Amino acid sequence: MSPLRVALAVARKDLRSEWRTREVVPALAQFIILALLIGNFGFQIDSRNATSIAPGILWLALVFAGLVAFGRTFAAEREQASLEAMLMTPASPVAIFAGKAAAASLLLIVCEAVMLPALSLFFGTPFSAQVVAAVLIATVGMAALGCLFAAIVARVRARELLLPLLTLPLWIPFIVAGGQAVQSAMGLPGSYSESISLLIDFDILFLVLTSLAARFVLDE
Amino acid sequence: MSMLVGDGLTHRFGSEPAIDNVDLVLDTGEHMAVLGDNGAGKTTLLRILATALRPTSGKLTIAGLDAFRERRRIRHYLGYVAHAPGLYPALSARENLEFFCDLQDVDRSRVAEAMETVGLASVSHRRAAELSRGMQQRLAIGRAILHDPRLLILDEPDASLGADAADLLAGLMRGRTAVLATHDHALANRLCPRTLVLRHGRSLGTATHLRVVR
Repeated sequence: MSPLRVALAVARKDLRSEWRTREVVPALAQFIILALLIGNFGFQIDSRNATSIAPGILWLALVFAGLVAFGRTFAAEREQASLEAMLMTPASPVAIFAGKAAAASLLLIVCEAVMLPALSLFFGTPFSAQVVAAVLIATVGMAALGCLFAAIVARVRARELLLPLLTLPLWIPFIVAGGQAVQSAMGLPGSYSESISLLIDFDILFLVLTSLAARFVLDE
Repeated sequence: MSMLVGDGLTHRFGSEPAIDNVDLVLDTGEHMAVLGDNGAGKTTLLRILATALRPTSGKLTIAGLDAFRERRRIRHYLGYVAHAPGLYPALSARENLEFFCDLQDVDRSRVAEAMETVGLASVSHRRAAELSRGMQQRLAIGRAILHDPRLLILDEPDASLGADAADLLAGLMRGRTAVLATHDHALANRLCPRTLVLRHGRSLGTATHLRVVR
């Protein structure tokens, strides 16, 4: 069976399960709205400083929402003992990993669809295609890394503690480049195209590395 | 011809051996029961035989192939029923099997046949979470036979199956090589001409069913 078909089957299964249980997305969307609200009340926001504060709040909310979304991808499989059943098939572990990462990314993108208009509403920042593109491009690489570490920590008891410890340091490049891209898209100094190029480079690098590592993580 | 050959299979969790130097040979079409008390190492041995767990030392050959080097190839003709059903609770019984058809690369038309075999045809639309423990176990068995495997590894499949467990398992094992771990000596006697007894991870040897003693 082609790896693409396996990945699609896995992603479809995860999305169907989420659609029926509504376990992750409503909670994450609520978390994101609350994080934006707290940011809004916690800072003295006015028209002059909104564009410099909003990107920071955006990435903070996104990072923590991502940790929850990616953490659940493999934790749920472990809890219901279904990961082993899936890995006992001849399907490629890399394709299984890709399917799970794709589904988790889509769930996070749904949350981002709530977050970006809400950010604009609460902070009065411009809601542009450039901001959306920066967040989406960063999501790809963050999802690959987040799912890899979620797969690694899923078999240990302190996974909720370990996942941020392992993932956050490697997400820093995305936060730095993504933050710069969003800031320049909101009118602050900085080159948008350079930041986006950097994000794409990180995406490629981490997609290659995680697909190489996924086989060993899931196989053993 | 030997379907399954285990040579000096050992697995340690830390310094404790869960399985210690177990040898076994199973010919094509042969059925063998694995008996032993709780903690004797039955599940560890079966996970190794199913290629789900790599032994610390020892060699496993399935159908003449190195089981761990050719793991993906072997899984085309190996069916494994694990201790836990491992189903997706939000998916229906049918959807669970259809998903595994996609992963096994077999036609989805196999689902109806598997459902019929395990006696779940009438509840195929129900979500796995709504099924009783016994039905979930049947569904897990149905998943293991979707690709019509030549070798079945069954880890206490009778645990919650009910009165017709022996008939169901006998039907599944017919024409296949099978290893069955169970606590039920009567079931082992009925389904398996040979028995391997484990104690503290060590094999006490194999015997015909008439000679099995605890």
